[in-house]
Amino acid sequence: MKKIFYLFLAFFGLGCNFSQAQVQKGSVLIKNATVLTVTKGNLESADVLVQNGIITQIGKNISAPNGVQSIDATGKYLMPGIIDAHSHVALDVVNEASAPITSEVRMKDVVNPFEIGIYRALAGGVTVSHAMHGSANVVGGQNATLKHRWGAKDPADIIMQDAPRTIKFALGENPTRVHGRGNGIQPRSRMGVEAVIRNGFNEALQYKKAWETFAAAKNTKGNTLTPPVYSERLQTLADILDGKVIVHCHSYRADEIYMLINVAKDFNIKKLVFQHTNEGFKVAPEIAEYTMGASVFADWWAYKMEVYYSTAFNAAILQRNGAITSINSDSAELIRHLYHEAAKTQRYGSLTDEEALAMITINPAKQLGIDDKVGSIEVGKQGDLVIFDSHPLSSYAVPQMTFVDGIKYFDIVADKDDQRQLVIATEMVEPIYLRANEEAHRCMQDVEIYLDAFDVAFLKENH
Amino acid sequence: MMIFGWVMQISWAQSDPSGKRRVTSSFAITNATVIKSPGDPGSKATVLFKDGIITGIGVGLSIPKDAQVISGDSLYVYPAFIDGGSNIGISKPKEAERPKDLVTSNPPDEFAGITPWRLATDFYSNTSTQVDEWRKVGFAMTQIIPDGGMLPGKTALVSLGDPKSIAIIQANVAMAANFRGSRGMYPGTVAGVMAKFRDVYQNSTLALEHEKMFASAAGVKRPQTTPTQLAMGPVVQRQLPILFTANSELEVRRAISLQKELGFKLILTGLENYDSVIDLIKNSGTSVMLKLQVPDDKSIKSQKEEGVTEATKAQYTRVKEAYDNSLKQAANLEKAGVSFGFSTLDTKASDVHKALSTMIANGLSEKAVLAALTTNPASVLGISRIAGTLEKGKLANLILATEPLFKESSQIKHVIVDGYVFDYEVKKKANSAPNSSTKPENTAITVEGTWEYLSETPAGSSGGEITIKKENGVLGGSITYDDPTGSGKASAPIKNVTLTGKNLSFEFDIAAGGMSFTVTVSGEVNGKSMEGNLSVPQMGSFPVKATLSSPSQIN
Repeated sequence: MKKIFYLFLAFFGLGCNFSQAQVQKGSVLIKNATVLTVTKGNLESADVLVQNGIITQIGKNISAPNGVQSIDATGKYLMPGIIDAHSHVALDVVNEASAPITSEVRMKDVVNPFEIGIYRALAGGVTVSHAMHGSANVVGGQNATLKHRWGAKDPADIIMQDAPRTIKFALGENPTRVHGRGNGIQPRSRMGVEAVIRNGFNEALQYKKAWETFAAAKNTKGNTLTPPVYSERLQTLADILDGKVIVHCHSYRADEIYMLINVAKDFNIKKLVFQHTNEGFKVAPEIAEYTMGASVFADWWAYKMEVYYSTAFNAAILQRNGAITSINSDSAELIRHLYHEAAKTQRYGSLTDEEALAMITINPAKQLGIDDKVGSIEVGKQGDLVIFDSHPLSSYAVPQMTFVDGIKYFDIVADKDDQRQLVIATEMVEPIYLRANEEAHRCMQDVEIYLDAFDVAFLKENH
Repeated sequence: MMIFGWVMQISWAQSDPSGKRRVTSSFAITNATVIKSPGDPGSKATVLFKDGIITGIGVGLSIPKDAQVISGDSLYVYPAFIDGGSNIGISKPKEAERPKDLVTSNPPDEFAGITPWRLATDFYSNTSTQVDEWRKVGFAMTQIIPDGGMLPGKTALVSLGDPKSIAIIQANVAMAANFRGSRGMYPGTVAGVMAKFRDVYQNSTLALEHEKMFASAAGVKRPQTTPTQLAMGPVVQRQLPILFTANSELEVRRAISLQKELGFKLILTGLENYDSVIDLIKNSGTSVMLKLQVPDDKSIKSQKEEGVTEATKAQYTRVKEAYDNSLKQAANLEKAGVSFGFSTLDTKASDVHKALSTMIANGLSEKAVLAALTTNPASVLGISRIAGTLEKGKLANLILATEPLFKESSQIKHVIVDGYVFDYEVKKKANSAPNSSTKPENTAITVEGTWEYLSETPAGSSGGEITIKKENGVLGGSITYDDPTGSGKASAPIKNVTLTGKNLSFEFDIAAGGMSFTVTVSGEVNGKSMEGNLSVPQMGSFPVKATLSSPSQIN
């Protein structure tokens, strides 16, 4: 009787009417693929079974349980869903550029599940992206880790709810340009950036102390101590000091990278990842020893002064020095071929297949604190998978199907010309940009107002 | 109680040198078809009202001797409309001059758009022409929303009645809130606004706690409650609801998620796109006021029949689909069992009839429309006892129409507010179908005068004044805008002003930091308003709206 009742509910679509919509999970069996597990070697013509969103079996001759769809991937390659550790896809706002520290700002508040960039990323095999605040501030907002469940209408359904909190920091030219030069406040120099961070953490320590003192006094008899001012800004910085938040820091130069390592040591911060890190090769051992590594571009530089001293060997040098290294996109265009970006580490640095693939799977997963859930093909992990027609590090590789939690969200055969989820009734056709530059790099989006006219006119590169 | 203001004025005025005083405050509408409430099929009755109060509705009522009789034989009587949220008669607060040492990363609340202490009533004028414009289409009451940033101030309920009477029915109805950032300072974006909203809310709660301690124990340091915290007190104590303007699905979700997190009472207003959040609205029990407007069909009309590719045609189909769906949203809301009101904020009175008939044509029942204009907002605003339906003892707010109200050809002949009768011209019925489309428009478009404009950019909204005048037969003038270097307003002459048909366009130069940009503004003029785009090189094109606040005298 009960069963019938549930069937009845499901039939009328009433099952998902609850205010907290349930994330959809699926089951699928992929057969006879060359399985690139990334962490456990490669398996020739093997099967992978995903049940209710979780990988439950890897091996040969697995038969599909009742009702589970079986996909024949003979001659094809199966790899874990690609993870982009630096992206701004699916965000309505990138920069709250108005203050040097805005740690109270949450990118989760401004996730836009309708953005077509999610689908385009899926078409490039990317299942998880790190939707970051921009680099206008020394301490930017808290980021959101997204799972690309295309078609969801509720932002909460594409946020990876079991991922740890992360936050954006930024060093160098961007914050000094926006606040120092653009607005006449600290920081105007790299020294100022360090001061802003140290002051912030010291204030956070005082803040934490004030609340602890209040909490202790609150219920004592004759208490006259009143509650301190509430500040989510300082609370978030205190959470960083307590190891609850992973810092992802936009950085280029070796000196400032080393500076932040020293700041982290002084404040006993262990969870630190560097982003961009173009001069990371100069301080690779230090990064390897103290941090959760670096997330870099494969070969992209010289878009502003602090990014001239760069090399395409950066990723390989970091990797071989023992730093956790990932390759990211920071772009709605690059995100579509991160497998190709990863392959560049083989041309520049002769990394192995496994090392190169790790740069877009398990390594970024580690940097986002989600390597126990995604980033490789292992039993017990979430069923985020991509089928390629040839080896993903081949120049000719094209993703065929992309799965998140065992549900297929991209299939090259079923790819329609117009995949938009949301069509605006009053707009003829939304603008489509063919050239990457016009919509891609959004690290400095929403900040024009804070820059002087010179910057707006001439400094168009905005990472 | 709240209507005493004008009652006294009339009863005890001893002399009337102006000669404008009413002969009587007692009226009788005889033998009209009376629709007392949404869903009522209507029946012939006489309606009596005196001193602004309905004194009787029924058949065979004796007509008081002092009553002025309105013959209702061919008329349909409805309860007048209640507007769930508007800026009718509201003027913009004067912008305070920015101090030279203003820290944009942490500006004083007033500059950051946080002015919850402001009262809509302080910025309301019941002699504004908007009052008559909206009354003319049937509105007798409106919740006025103050203009401003993320927390612009408290709303009030006003009567759109006699300009000489006191308009306020109830002050402090709700606290208005927007997702609008402040230009060039913290909080500048939706993300910043949401963070700052939490901050303001939590600290207002703590300020109350502090005050309570100070009041009850010795040795507690003096509370230093800010004007913001003081004004937010009733909100955090759940006495005053927040009236959040949320246009899109994502904004609806954002407002509801803040509500769930913090626990305040919430009313949503200005909803434009909400189809995918109907369940959420229903399950959260949030009261909603839909924007009283349907999307313009320019993109549909601009679709070409020939010479387009299959791919373009497929896109046309999707736009058409999206357009059709957006028209059905209100009907879907009704189907889901959600009762709603309407908000007229950012809409035009002249479009109301079309908006309502379009919604009805797309499945919304007439009963639901009338409820959305009367009983539903009355219930949300807590005034069901005095308004929303036609009953003895309620306020005499009525509409007298020539035909059933939502019929295409129906016209409003009288609107009665607080017992004051306003007469409107009724056009004679055309015998054949109107052929206005073939008639050339002979009304000249006036653009000369001072316009107030507002432009929405990703960095926040910005606005100023445009002054247009004709000299030697050539249009010219000037524009003020927020100074990009960050303080106050700057002004520039406008050039290349052209007016072709309804389309106005002009350019102006902004100079900053040794650089200069040419900004192009173009838009369509409709009466006293203009809508269009403002484009800035390398930054993009942003919507701009302007209203002609003081037209030049035409000689």
